[in-house]
Amino acid sequence: MKKFFSRFYMALIFIFMYAPILTLIVLSFNASKSRAKWGGFTLKWYVDLFQDETIMGTLWNTLSIAILATIISTFIGTVTCIGLMYANKKTRAIVMNIANIPMINADIVTGISLMLLFQAMHVTTGFGTILMAHITFDIPFVMLSVMPRVKTLNQNTYEAALDLGATPIYAFRKAVLPELWPVIIAGGLMAFTMSIDDFIITYFTKGSGYETLSTLIYSEVKRGIQPEIYALSAIIFVAVMFLLILVNVIPKIRSDRKARRGRKKIAAAVLVLCLTATSMGTLTACGTNSSTGKNGKLYVYNWGEYIDPDLIDQFEEETGIDVIYDMFETNEVMYAKMAQDSSAYDVICPSDYMINKMIENDLLQELDFSQIPNAENIGESYWTSSETFDPGNKYSVPYCWGTVGILYNKTMVDEEVNSWDILWDDKYSGQILMQDSVRDALMIALMRNGYSCNTDDEEALEEAAQDLIAQKPLVQAYVVDQVRDKMIGNEAALGVIYSGEAIYTQQENPDLEYVVPDEGTNVWIDSWVISKNSKNVENAHKWINFMCRADVAYKNFEYITYSTPNEAARELIEDDAIKNSEIAFPDLTTMKTEAYQYLGTDVERLYNDKWMEVKSAD
Amino acid sequence: MNLNRQNKIHNGKKQMIWLSTPYIGWSLLFVVIPLCMVLYYGLTTDTWSFTFANVTHITEPGYMKALVRSVELAVIATIVCFLLAYPLGMILRSMHLSRNGFIITLFILPMWMNFLLRTLTWMTLLEGSGVINGILNVLHLPNIHIINTPAAIVLGMVYNYLPFMILPIYTALNNIDEDLLNASRDLGAGELQTFCKVTFPLSLPGVGSGVTMVFIPALTTFAISSMLGGSKIMLIGNVIEQEFTSLYDWHLGSGISIILMVVIIINMMLNIAFDAKEERQAKSIKGGKR
Amino acid sequence: MARELITLEHIYKSYGDQLVLDDLSLMIKENSFVTLLGPSGCGKTTTLRIIGGFEYPDSGAVVFDGKNITDLSPNKRNLNTVFQKYALFPHMTVEENIAFGLKISNKSQQYIKDKVKYALKLLNMDGFEQRKPDSLSGGQQQRVAIARAIVNEPKVLLLDEPLGALDLKMRQGMQYELMRLKNELGITFIYVTHDQEEALTMSDHIIVMNQGYIQQEGTPEMIYNEPENAFVADFIGDSNILRAKMIQDKLVEIQGAKFACVDVGFGQNNPVDVVIRPEDIELLEPEKGIIKGRVLNTVFRGVHYEMEVEAHNYKWLVHSTRMKEVGQEVGLYVDPFNIQVMNVPESEDEEAISELEQTE
Repeated sequence: MKKFFSRFYMALIFIFMYAPILTLIVLSFNASKSRAKWGGFTLKWYVDLFQDETIMGTLWNTLSIAILATIISTFIGTVTCIGLMYANKKTRAIVMNIANIPMINADIVTGISLMLLFQAMHVTTGFGTILMAHITFDIPFVMLSVMPRVKTLNQNTYEAALDLGATPIYAFRKAVLPELWPVIIAGGLMAFTMSIDDFIITYFTKGSGYETLSTLIYSEVKRGIQPEIYALSAIIFVAVMFLLILVNVIPKIRSDRKARRGRKKIAAAVLVLCLTATSMGTLTACGTNSSTGKNGKLYVYNWGEYIDPDLIDQFEEETGIDVIYDMFETNEVMYAKMAQDSSAYDVICPSDYMINKMIENDLLQELDFSQIPNAENIGESYWTSSETFDPGNKYSVPYCWGTVGILYNKTMVDEEVNSWDILWDDKYSGQILMQDSVRDALMIALMRNGYSCNTDDEEALEEAAQDLIAQKPLVQAYVVDQVRDKMIGNEAALGVIYSGEAIYTQQENPDLEYVVPDEGTNVWIDSWVISKNSKNVENAHKWINFMCRADVAYKNFEYITYSTPNEAARELIEDDAIKNSEIAFPDLTTMKTEAYQYLGTDVERLYNDKWMEVKSAD
Repeated sequence: MNLNRQNKIHNGKKQMIWLSTPYIGWSLLFVVIPLCMVLYYGLTTDTWSFTFANVTHITEPGYMKALVRSVELAVIATIVCFLLAYPLGMILRSMHLSRNGFIITLFILPMWMNFLLRTLTWMTLLEGSGVINGILNVLHLPNIHIINTPAAIVLGMVYNYLPFMILPIYTALNNIDEDLLNASRDLGAGELQTFCKVTFPLSLPGVGSGVTMVFIPALTTFAISSMLGGSKIMLIGNVIEQEFTSLYDWHLGSGISIILMVVIIINMMLNIAFDAKEERQAKSIKGGKR
Repeated sequence: MARELITLEHIYKSYGDQLVLDDLSLMIKENSFVTLLGPSGCGKTTTLRIIGGFEYPDSGAVVFDGKNITDLSPNKRNLNTVFQKYALFPHMTVEENIAFGLKISNKSQQYIKDKVKYALKLLNMDGFEQRKPDSLSGGQQQRVAIARAIVNEPKVLLLDEPLGALDLKMRQGMQYELMRLKNELGITFIYVTHDQEEALTMSDHIIVMNQGYIQQEGTPEMIYNEPENAFVADFIGDSNILRAKMIQDKLVEIQGAKFACVDVGFGQNNPVDVVIRPEDIELLEPEKGIIKGRVLNTVFRGVHYEMEVEAHNYKWLVHSTRMKEVGQEVGLYVDPFNIQVMNVPESEDEEAISELEQTE
C-alpha cells in the first residue's frame, strides 16, 4: 500500500514535469499555427525548420556558446581547484566565496552587472560578451563539482610521481587527472546544461543582431511563436533522451567489461559530436559576423511585424547590402538599447516623441536629403506634422502614421462603441486587452478624463493611474503585438490597437471593428532616422530612399496595412474602398487627436512611476 | 640527488599555486568589478553625484508593491516546492538507487529543454481555451482560469525550480545513515517521532540549499511573470528589467538591484557561517578517528 | 537455573536469491552474556537485527519473555542496541543523545537529568554533556552509545561489533568495561563479533555461526577445547586439522602414524577429522616423540615461539615456549586428551562449510 502511494506520487511528479514537454512535442506536429487549435498532423514544421536560416543560425549560436563556454570553464575551473589546494586556507576561502557569487546571486543582477561592465569597457556586445558571461557563471558549477574530489585527492601520488623523476606536467597527467575525470565530466555537463538553459544573463549581454535560442524565444513569445521552434525543441529533447538512455541503460545490459568499453565509446562519440558542433558553430558564428554583402552591412531596428519581409530581400538584392534586421516592442525598449550603444543600429524607426527625445539627447544625425530623392513622395501635410518633433525636418522621414483606437468583436460587444469608457465596463471583465506601453496606457486614461496626453499635472496623472488600477481586474493581459492575434483568435472582446492593424485584422476576422473614441486619441508618426554613430551611413540613406520608393511603399502597405504617408504609393492602391478608407486614411479634422511630445527627464520619471504603480497593483 | 628532487617537488607545488591565478583575475574582472559598478550606478544620480535616492525609491508604492509581491510569490513557490520535493526525496531514498540513478537524471532532463519554452507550454496548457480546460470540458468539470494570475506565476516557478529543491534534499536524505533511524526506533521513537527528531533535522542542510536555490531565482525572475502573468503582475525582477531595457534608468535599476544584493549577501553570510561550522565538525571527525 | 528470555524459532531470512538464515533456532537465557560469533556474512548481524526489530524474518518467530514479538516494531521492544558505528545523532549533544529515549517515553525532567548523570558517571564520561558527538574520539563515542542504550533500562542490550572501530588497547579496555557493566546492571547482553578472542574473553555463552547455520554453541571453554567440527576448530584459534582414520576406540591413525586418544564410538577404520591445538604438541628429542619431523621455520610471538614442523608429509603448527633451531630434528608428542576426534562432514551443508573453509 505504502509502495503504491510512493509510486503514485512519483508518477504524479513525473507527469507534472513532463506534461508540458509532451504538449510541446505534440504541438510540433500540429498543422495549425495557433497553439490553441489542433489543425491535423503535419511534418511541415520539421521540414521548414531546416530551411529556416534564423532558427538554424540561432541554434548554432546557442550550441557554439554552450560548448565553448563549457570547455573553457571546465578547464579554468579544474585548474583553479588544483591550484587552490596549494594555496593557504584564507586565500582558498576567499576565492571560493567569490566563485560562489554568480551561483548565489540573482541572474538578473549578474546580467546587468556584466552589461554595465561591457558598456564601460566599450566592448561591442555579441558573441564574445555572451561567451565571457557564460564562462563566468559556468566556472562555479565546475568548481562545485571538482573541488570536493580534489580535496580528497591523495597528494602523495602526485609527489611520489615527482619523486620518481616525472615532470610536473607528466605527473599531473598520469597521477592526478585520471582520478579527476569523472568529476570534471560531471562539472562540464552541469556547465553545459546551465549555459543551454540560460536566458536572463544572455538577454542582458547579447548585442544587436545576435540571438541565442533563449532570446529568440523570448522575443517570439511576445509576437507569437513559430511552430518550427516546437519542432526544434522536440528534436533536442529526443536527442538528449536518446543519449541518456544510451549512456545509462545499455551498459547495464552488456557485461561489465564490455560496458566500460562501451561507455568509453559513447563518451568518445559525444566528444566528437561536441567538437564537430563547436567547429561548425564557430564557423557559422564567424560566418554571420564576417559575411558581409559586397556593399557592406546595414543594421535596421524596426517595430515588430512592421515590414514586408520580402522587401528586405529585395533591398539586399538590389543594393548588395547585407541587412541585419532586429525588432523592438516599444519606443522605450528601442531608446534604452540605442542609449546604451548608439552605434548598435544604423537606421531606426521610432515614433514622434521619441525622435524628439533622441534629437535632444544627441543620438541622431542629420539626414542628407540629396541621397533620398524619393522623400518627395511623402505628402506635404506629414512634413508639417513632423515639424512638431523634428523642427526643420532635418532628422526624419515619415514611414507610417495612424491613431490609437479600440478594436472590438461585434459578436461579443452588442452596444455602440464610441468611448474609452467601455474599457472600464464590468461586462467585459477578462475580455479586455490593454497596450503594455507607458504612454499609450496613460494616454487612454488621461484623454478619457479630458486631459492632454502630454500633461505634466501630477494630479491628472494620479487620477489616470487610479483609473487604470481600477480597470486592472477587468484586463485580461497587457500586451503589445499579441493584441492582433488574440483578437483574430476570438480570445478577447476589446483591444487597444493601432489603426494600421485594423484592415489586416478585419481581413482575417470580419467580426472585428475598429473605432476611435470620441474623447479623442493619440495620432502618431513613425519615421526613419539614422543613429548618430552609425557606421554605415551611406547604406542607411539607401535604405530610407528605398523605403520611400512608391512601389516599395505600396507593396509594404499591402502587407502591413498601416497608413502610409507616401502619396505616390497611395495612388497605386487599386481597391478604392481601401484607398479612401476612413480607417486606413482617417480624416484627422473630424476627430480629436493629439500627438505625443517628449516631456523631459523629470516628467518622464513621473509617468514611469505611475505606470509602475499600475502594473504592480493588485 | 635527493635534495634536488626535494627541490623539484617544492617547485612543483609552487607552480601549482599559479594555476589558480587566471581565475582569480577572471573573477575580479567579471564578478567583483561588475558588482562594484552596480553599486556605483545605484548610489549615484545621472550626473554622477552620490545619492541614496535610487535605493530609497523602493518605498514608492509601485516599487514596494512589486517587492512585497515578489517576496510573497517566491515564498509560496518555495514552500510548494519544498512540500512536493520532500516526500519525493523520502521516496527516492527508500528506493536505494545507485549513485547515478537514472531516475535522478530524469529530474534534470527537462532542464535541457529551453526554460522559456517549458514556461510557454504552460501558457498553452492553462489558457482559457487551452489543453487543461479542454480535458476538463470533456469530463464535464468546471474550467480553471488561472492564466495571468499570481497562481499561474507560482505554478511556473514551481515547475521551473522544482529540480533545484529535489536534488539537494534527496542528497541530504540519502546521506543519513540508516542506523541513525534504527537507533531512534530502537530508543522507542515511533515513525513520526523519528522523522521529527532525527530525519528532518539531519536533512536541514539540504533543505537550506534547496530553499536558497529556489527562493532566489523565484524572487528575481521576470520571464516567468511576464509570460504567465500577462504582464499584469509586476515582480521586482520585472521592475529592474524595465528600468534597464525600456525605461533607460540604469541608476534606479542598479539601486533596486542593490536591495536584491543585500538579501543575497545576507543569505551568503548565513551559508558561510554554516559552512565554517560544518568544516569544523568534519575536521573533528577526522581528528577523532586518528 | 536462569529462565529463557529470548527464543528464535525456525527463522528463515533471505535477501533476493541469497538465503542468509536457514532454519535458525536459538535460546538465550536471562542475565547472560551471549556472543554470536562468525565470519562476515555468516548471518550473525542479521540475527541481531531480527531480535532488534530492524529486519523481519521471512518465516519463524521471535519470542521475548514468553511473548511473540516477531512483527513488533523496534520502538515497542524492551531492548536497546549499540550500533556498529555507534549511530549517535550528530545534531544533538551528548546529553541530548543519552536523554533521547527517556524523553520519548515522557520521563520527568529530574529523572532524565539524574539518569543521564548516572550513565555518564558509570562510563567515566562526566563533563562531556554539552559536547557534540563529532568532537569525541571513537572510544568516547562508544561509551555515549552504550550510555544512550542503558539509560532506558532495557532487559536486553544488543551490541553489534561495538569495538570493531577501536584500536587494540582501547578494545581491551572496553572489553573489561563491558563485562563490569553487565555485572553491575544485571541485564542480558547479546554481542555480535567476528573476533574469537573477544568472544572467548567476555562471553558466558558463545554461538558460532557460519553461512546461516549455528555450528556450535556452548561455554567459551567448550567451544575452544571441544570444537564440534572443523569449521569451529579452525575459526576459534589456530589448529592442526587433519583427515584421519579411527582404527578402533581410543586409537586413531594420523598421516600413517598411530596416536592414542580418549574418544570412543567412532567405529572401526572409519574416516574422521582430528583437531590438535598447536600448543598441545610437545617437541621432544627425535626418538621420544610419536613421530619424527624437521623444523621448517620459527617465528617469535612474544609469549611463545610459533614453529612449523614437517612430519609425515604434513606441516604441523606448533606453539612452544622453547625455541628449536630451523632444520633441527624433533620428535612430536601429543597427549591423548588433547586429540579431538570429530565426525567427517556427511550432509551437504556441512560439506559446504568445509569447502568454504578450504577456500579461505
